[in-house]
Amino acid sequence: MTVGPVDRDQATAEFFDAAADGRFVLRRCPDGHHSEPAGAQCTTCGSTQLAWVPAAGGASLVSWAVVWSKPESGSEQVATVLVIGELDEGPWWWSRLEEADPARLAVGLRLKIAFRDGGAEAVPVFELAG
Amino acid sequence: MTDSPELRDPADSGPRAVRPGLRPVLAGLGLTELGKVYGRTPAQFAAEAVRLAVADAGLTLANVDGLLTSSGVTGGVSLDLQRELGLTDLRLLTHMQAYGSTAGSMVTYASLAVQSGMASVVACVFADSPLRPERGSGAIYGTRHAGSGWWGLLGASGVIGANPMYALAARRHMERYGTTSEQLGHIAVAQRAWAALNPAAQMREPITLADHQASRWIAEPFHLLDCCLVSNGGIAVLVTSAERAASMAQPPVHVLGWAQCHPGRYLRRNPDFGLVTGAATAGPAALAMAGVGVGDVDVAQLYDCYTFTVLVTLEDYGFCPKGEGGPFAASGVLGPGGKLMLNTGGGQLSGYYMWGMTPLSEAIIQARGHGGDRQSALHDIVLVSGNGGVLDHHATLVLGGPAAGP
Repeated sequence: MTVGPVDRDQATAEFFDAAADGRFVLRRCPDGHHSEPAGAQCTTCGSTQLAWVPAAGGASLVSWAVVWSKPESGSEQVATVLVIGELDEGPWWWSRLEEADPARLAVGLRLKIAFRDGGAEAVPVFELAG
Repeated sequence: MTDSPELRDPADSGPRAVRPGLRPVLAGLGLTELGKVYGRTPAQFAAEAVRLAVADAGLTLANVDGLLTSSGVTGGVSLDLQRELGLTDLRLLTHMQAYGSTAGSMVTYASLAVQSGMASVVACVFADSPLRPERGSGAIYGTRHAGSGWWGLLGASGVIGANPMYALAARRHMERYGTTSEQLGHIAVAQRAWAALNPAAQMREPITLADHQASRWIAEPFHLLDCCLVSNGGIAVLVTSAERAASMAQPPVHVLGWAQCHPGRYLRRNPDFGLVTGAATAGPAALAMAGVGVGDVDVAQLYDCYTFTVLVTLEDYGFCPKGEGGPFAASGVLGPGGKLMLNTGGGQLSGYYMWGMTPLSEAIIQARGHGGDRQSALHDIVLVSGNGGVLDHHATLVLGGPAAGP
């Protein structure tokens, strides 16, 4: 399954630099709280002194949705599983979950971040862990 | 989401604390043709809605000294509406955007302006015109984000539009509390039955629970019949003071209480996601300002972008305990003849999709006693919710029928 194209901007440059090397990065404040990559300040304490730090890439399933493409004559409907994963560092991440049977999903299921070619940039997605 | 201790008792700052003549009243309601109405711009719908609301109150545009504008997904309503309507020397003019909570917020700010004496007749308007004859409604709200930055990344990984985001919220509720698709279906079926009694509703053919279950998947756990319509049109309301309203054409609908809550956790770790919304904070606050409890509510008009939004708001407002919205919805309390007068115009699922103006307009109709075949026998206290973003913005209003002045 392909991911859509995405272009970097100033706010996402370091994230995509890391993604190009296969690393998923989060933001961390001096007190060690992790925040979502898009955070401009620490979501726990408000610190603006944020550093990019690598995440382990492990996550647990929080919720999921199965999005169906619009039925059109002659083409089969396509289902995409979208999920919220709780990263082991704490923040949540919204993306698709690839190669998963929707009937077997359950809260807490172990996931891992993987990267897909999104044209100009690498795009993180979730896969089932193990 | 706890109350900060500095906040005054809401009863001290609301309409009850104001000189009776200055207490806010909804005195005018204007609905344009709604639904598949083509060939008009949002600005044209907005101007017509304001003219209709003014005429409904028995006024002329010259009486209007305040204007709050808002627009939907296609934009197009702006401060320019003042010029289009030839309104001069306004004492209040602002464009507002709080998504589905905007209507409730507009009435709140208009009420504050009226009770402070800042303005005396404030028109609040929403209009949108996203439907095109050749385009499906799904294409309108499912638009792909621009392809750069964080939004681009979200879109690139497939997380696009409101359907999947609300589906994620609903699934979390189902997993936590055992809520089922059939329980959500009861809300869709009940609202369609109400819509059959509403001449302004877009979808008036009755549906069954089996129809709901058989309707195609949009984003599991949502079937097509869990999702709201898309509509063209405009709705305006007029807020004025009780003393001014006394000489106007319609029975006064008192604005008794208001509150907002904006949790601010969009795309952030949020233990409340899909489980508790801003309604849990704003609802009790607005009811307290009005001096009533949820048991006093005669009619509820709850924002229904999806069936699930209704279910979680019922819980958050306290119509049933947290987590029991599913069994409550399936218990037979909904729909014509049920115990709970909820979304009596069909709502946004089956009536018309005018964001927060949908529940607000039906609330005014019911509070006045003008609901015709769908009129609630009791209509002294009417509760209205607005919800915007992905359960990110909430506004509650408590309205009082003509017999329920503060």
